Parts: sequence; structure tokens; C-alpha cells
Amino acid sequence: MPEIAIQTQKLTRRFGNLTAVEAIDLQVTAGQFFGFLGPNGAGKSTTIKILTGLLAATSGSIQLLGLDFAMNPVEVKRQIGVVPEGMGLFERLTGAEYLKFVGRMYGLDRPTTQRRSSELLEFMQLADRPKTMIADYSHGMQKKLALAAAVIHGPRILFLDEPFEGVDALAAGALKALLGRMTERGTTIFLTSHVLEIVERLCSHVAIIHKGQLVAQGSLEELRAGVAGEAGSKTTLEQIFLSIVGQDGTERPQLEELSWLM
Amino acid sequence: MADVTHSVSVFEQIRLVAGLRWRILRNSLRKKNNRLDLIGLILAGVLSGIFVFGLSFAFYAGAYAFLSQGRMEWMALLFWGIFLFWQIFPVFVAGFGANFEFRTLLRFPLSLRAFYAIGLAYGFADFSALASVCWLLAMTTGATVAKPGVLPAMLLIVAVFMLLNATMERLIGSWLERLLARRRTREIFLGLFVLSMVSLNFLSPLMQRYGASARPVFFRLLPYFVWLPPSLAGRALAAVIRMQPAAFLLNFVLLLSYLVLFSVLLWGRFAAQYRGEELSDSAAPGRAAIRPLPASDDGPDRLSLLAPQVAAIVRKEFHYLTRNGFAYFTLLLPPLLILIFSMNFAGSHPTVGGKGVSSDVFFPGMMAYLILILMAPAYNSFAYEGRGVQTYFTAPLRFRDVLLGKNLMLVSVLSLELGLSMAMLAWRVGLPSAHTFVATCAAIIFTIVGQLTIANWSSITFPRKLEFGQMRGQRQSGMAVLVAFGAQILMGGISAVILFTGNWTGNLWLPAQVFVFLAVAAVGGYFASLDALHKLAEKKKEVLMEALCR
Repeated sequence: MPEIAIQTQKLTRRFGNLTAVEAIDLQVTAGQFFGFLGPNGAGKSTTIKILTGLLAATSGSIQLLGLDFAMNPVEVKRQIGVVPEGMGLFERLTGAEYLKFVGRMYGLDRPTTQRRSSELLEFMQLADRPKTMIADYSHGMQKKLALAAAVIHGPRILFLDEPFEGVDALAAGALKALLGRMTERGTTIFLTSHVLEIVERLCSHVAIIHKGQLVAQGSLEELRAGVAGEAGSKTTLEQIFLSIVGQDGTERPQLEELSWLM
Repeated sequence: MADVTHSVSVFEQIRLVAGLRWRILRNSLRKKNNRLDLIGLILAGVLSGIFVFGLSFAFYAGAYAFLSQGRMEWMALLFWGIFLFWQIFPVFVAGFGANFEFRTLLRFPLSLRAFYAIGLAYGFADFSALASVCWLLAMTTGATVAKPGVLPAMLLIVAVFMLLNATMERLIGSWLERLLARRRTREIFLGLFVLSMVSLNFLSPLMQRYGASARPVFFRLLPYFVWLPPSLAGRALAAVIRMQPAAFLLNFVLLLSYLVLFSVLLWGRFAAQYRGEELSDSAAPGRAAIRPLPASDDGPDRLSLLAPQVAAIVRKEFHYLTRNGFAYFTLLLPPLLILIFSMNFAGSHPTVGGKGVSSDVFFPGMMAYLILILMAPAYNSFAYEGRGVQTYFTAPLRFRDVLLGKNLMLVSVLSLELGLSMAMLAWRVGLPSAHTFVATCAAIIFTIVGQLTIANWSSITFPRKLEFGQMRGQRQSGMAVLVAFGAQILMGGISAVILFTGNWTGNLWLPAQVFVFLAVAAVGGYFASLDALHKLAEKKKEVLMEALCR
């Protein structure tokens, strides 16, 4: 029986009258590269915030690596790494200072923190600006630093909210290689992205959230097989996504109404 | 294909931008916190109205009196008053201005001429411009009532003077924007600004001492002022009344020359903006150089007595302090304030005149005042965290460690500052008697630690994001300010009453004993509060992140 890394039961979050996430039952096996998809405003970021302790759930439960999050928040946080929406960086520190800060926050000793910080900065090609403050980094550099900070303690689960947004192709290639290696070594990666090609290339399993509800979950092959009017193994993730999310016909804009543009 | 749009008139564009600004204000009021701010806005509006109306009457009366008494040259004084207000006030109130990025309009199909016209038109929409226009109209009315024949000339001079002021104000604003676009410059400017404001307190003692010798220098400089716009406006008007057309023409042409000069300079600035001048200071990513790994800092850990998380927070706070140019300047404030106050109220400086306050009163009073200033930022201690605050909730730590780290750093800075201030006091005024000294030291511990508990609660409950070194749009939460005032008045009141009990009861060591007891109680209460505050932070984390991660 494979170890379950992430499991939620009836996870719900309401904001006043709005139910952003409704009774989600997620299950992610350890070592999976898991893509969490959905249209804008579907509840992706809310879910990832709840799973990482940034937002409290209205009801339902979360188990990460077999530990109940509500009962053992500190122990759970020790095992996970997060690149949150907006990256959560302290912009008045340099890259090295920030990594050392995060390393110590996760309880690493000083020599280990120092060594890993240097290695990560080199890998992310951020080491050539030791005195530059994060506030002066470009968006892509900040993204790489946020990812470095999320992995410095060797997490067993990594949550990434739009990790490749604003990262150049060269850096994205290196990051994908790094993430691939991490999953090979047993790290579970849970990522949200709007770029379906990236998810299709990286993820073995996918869940789709729509209007706060989980509408599909499984391996890419299972999802392909489940799509109505399946076109066999050639069905792309984009086609799967559109067929599931846009199936009620209300999502697709009516181009005929924009005839003045064409 | 898409239609080709018609060109929009400058007037229509001004109207559209006015509508946009109105909608921005109206939509911002949908939030509860901003609605509370509206009350303050209305109150400020009423007070400003009274201020403008009152001074309008004064300008009316001044113009009437000068012209009816034949003191035509004195009209320049009124022009000078308006000129200084129009140019200086916008710099002072930059922090309260609407946060509207005028340059964002450049994405629309505007001609440079339209961009310039809109920019100038909005120069008239500032409070300083509106008030000044009111006063100039009041002056015109006063002058016309005194001498009706002066109206056409007055209208001409006032129109040019208004345009000149609006152009100059926009020009200064545009230069400032360029200057302050870089973060470091912004911080230094803000620090210098605060220091210069504080330094104004030195004026009184300096004037008392050196005023007489400075007066001849001032009088020697005075003739040069006549070539500046307000004097030219006043002299042009005086020439009209005295029927001296040549003098009028000379002064008016010079006034117009200033207008042309400022217009050309402003056109240049707006043209640079129009062409897409980049003011941002974010660095372009450079090529990664191959360089050796930095040596590991294996030296002794100076914070090894603390938990790693608490030590990490203390280090981070220290880095933030050293990166905050404004904070550097505020650290200079306490010794500076002691210098100012000792020159005014105590010590051996000649301006005190031997009637200085005794060190037994001056010492505790000064310490209370310094704590009042230095503790204020603690009531919104997450103000500069920005999105980094998320780290506190994703990292495996209890929020009490965050508070502890932040408070430790603050207490260290306070100790250093108060130590320096005590040394300064000992030099300037002398130390107080032993019982007052001990009582004050214990009172300092009581008030600082007691306030820390309340300040932590306030920081979690009423957070407000602030940007380093920025003046525009920087406002503390109104509730946090109220809590800070309340706590400081309470602590200060309790301390004052206890200090005086020594004199009332005849037992001079009684305040020291009471304060030692209170200090111990405050320290105990502080540690007991950390767990409760940890729970509160968990409960309020969404409020914190919503306020700080914008």
C-alpha cells in the first residue's frame, strides 16, 4: 500500500456567502508530481493556502504524511515546503540572508544552512549578486529564490503556486530538472499552473477544481480514458480540461458577438 | 478589423480623468476600514474649509488695507505668502495625497500637448492650488474695492501668477518624482526631511543667541528677492497704481519670462515621461559570473542562547533595521531631542537663563518622552513585512517566537538608545538623585514591557502595510494609533502618579519599590501573554495577510 502524502476529507472554505472550496476529497500518493488545475477563481489558490496553513478551513480535515494538520501544525510544517502566491519573500534581505533566515526557521543548523544556501544560490544563478536586495531582483529571480527557500530544508511535500510564471526558459528547464529529481527521490510535488503544457509534461497525476468543487482526479491516462468521445492516447490535457470545465457550454465566450474585432 | 477611434478633445480627456479619480475614491470606500477613513477625510475637509475661508478674509483685508493706505509695495508680501504655501505645502502633505499614478495615462492615445495640458490642469486640483486660488481671488476683490481701477491689471497679474505657480509646482513635483524614484534616495530624502523638521526646534535658541548678528546678513540678501516672481507681481501692481507703465511692463515681462522658463522646463520633463522615461530601480538580470562559494560563517553564534527560530527573527529584524535609511535617522532623534530640550528647559545653556527644570523632574520626563516616540512603531510591528509575513505561517514555528524575536530586537535598540540618551542627559543636565534614577529605570522596564504586550496585540489585530522610505500613501491604522495613545497615556499616567507619591508620602524610595514590583509583574504578564497572542495570531492570520500582502 503506497504512502498517502496528502489527503483531505470534505475540505470546505467559505468567505461569507461565497463557498470558495466545497467538500473536497483529495488524495495524493507520496512521490507523485501532482497538478492541480482549474479556471480563474475556481479555488486553486484557496485550496493550496489551506493545505499549507495560510488559511483556515471552515470545515473538513487535512492529513499530510499521515499527520492531522490541525492537531500537529508545527510537525507538519517541518515536512513541507511552500512557494505561496506572491512568493512570501522578505524584500529587504539579500538572497543569501533570506535563505539563511528560512533555513534557521526550519531548524537547520548554521553550517548546513550556510552550505545549502550557497549551493542553492549557485544552482539558481543568483550567486553573482550577493549584495542585491530581493526588492531589486527581477520577477523571475524572485521566483527562483522563493523556490530555493521552499526546498532548503529538504521537504517531503512541496507546494508550488504557479512556480514557472515569469521564469525564463533556461531557468524553467533547470527548475523542472530539479523538481523531477526531487520526485524521483520520493518528494511529493503539488503544483498549480495555468500553463497546461507544463503540467502535462511534468505531472503524473492531475486534479481539476471548478467552482470550488473537485470535478476530476486521477492519472493523466485515467483522465484521458474518462473523457467523453475520447480520441485515445492523443487527447491533450488542454482538451481534457476544456471538456471537463467547459462542458456546460457557459464558459466558452461567444466569438460571434465580437464580430467587430474580426 | 477594429475601428479607428476618433481623437478625443483635451477637455474630454480631463473630464474622463476626473471621473476616473472619483471612481477610484468611491470604490475604495466600499471597504469598511476606508469608510472609517472617510470620517477623517470629512473632518479634514471641514477644517481645511475653515482655514481657507479664514485666510481668504485675511488676504481680502490685507489687500484692501495696503492699497487704501498707499502701501502698494506691501502687496508683494501677500504674493510671497501665497507663493510659499503653493510650492511648499504639497511637499509636506505628500503622504496624504491620493495614490494616483498620473503616468499610467500614457498607455492611452494622448498627444504630448494633451498630456501636458492634463498634467497642468491637475496642478490646479491640489489642495494648495485651490486654497491659493481662493486667496488670490480674495486679494483681487480687496484690491478692487480699495481701488476699482486696478481690476484689469490685477486680473492679468493674478492670472499669470496662478499659471506660473501651477507650472512651478508641477515642475518641482516632477523633479521630486524623478529624484525619489530610487529607493535609497527616497529613504535619505525622507530621513533628511524628518531631521530638518526636528531641527526647526533649534531655531528658537539659535535665534536668541545669534539672531542679532544674523540680521545684517538677512538685510543684505533682501534686495535680491525683488527679482523673484512674488516680488515682481507686487511691483507690477504697484507700478500700475502709480501710473508707471515702463515699470509695470518691465516687472510683468520678467514675470512672464519666469512662466515661459518654467513651462519650457516642465514641457521637457513631461516630454521625457511621454517618451517612456524609466524611473524604476529594479536591476536588470546580469550574466551569472563564476565565483567561489563564500566562506561559511562557522564563527561562534552570538545568539546561541536563543531558540534558532527566535535568533533567525532577531537577525532578520537587524538586517531590516540596517536597510532602513529612515530608521537610521530616527535613531539619531533621542540624543538630538535631549539636546533641544536641554537647551530650552534645563542645563547650563545661556538660553535657559538659570531657571532650568531640575534633573529630578527633567530626567524622568525626558525618558517618558523618548519612550513615547520610540515605542510608537511597535504598535504596527508587521508594517514592513509585506508578503514575507506568509513565511511566519508556513514555517514550523509558533507565532510567539516571532513576537519574541521582534520584541527582543526592539528592546535591544531601546536599551541602546536610552543608554545613549542617559549619557547625554548626564553631560547636559546631570543625573538625578539615586532614588529618582532607580525609580525611573524600573519605570522604564514597566512601561516598555507593559506596552509590548498591548503593542503585540495591536500589531496582530490592526495591521497596516507601510513601504520603506515612501511618503505617499503612508498611513498607520487609525485604531492602532488610538490604542498606542491610550496605552501610553495610561502607562504615563500611572508612572507619573507613582513618581509623585514619593514626595507626597515623604518616603523617597517608595516609587522605586513600587516600580520594581510593577516591572516584575509586567515581565511576568508579558511572557504569560505570548501563548494567548500566538492563538490570536492563528485566528487573525487572514486579516494579517490580507493587510500586508497587497
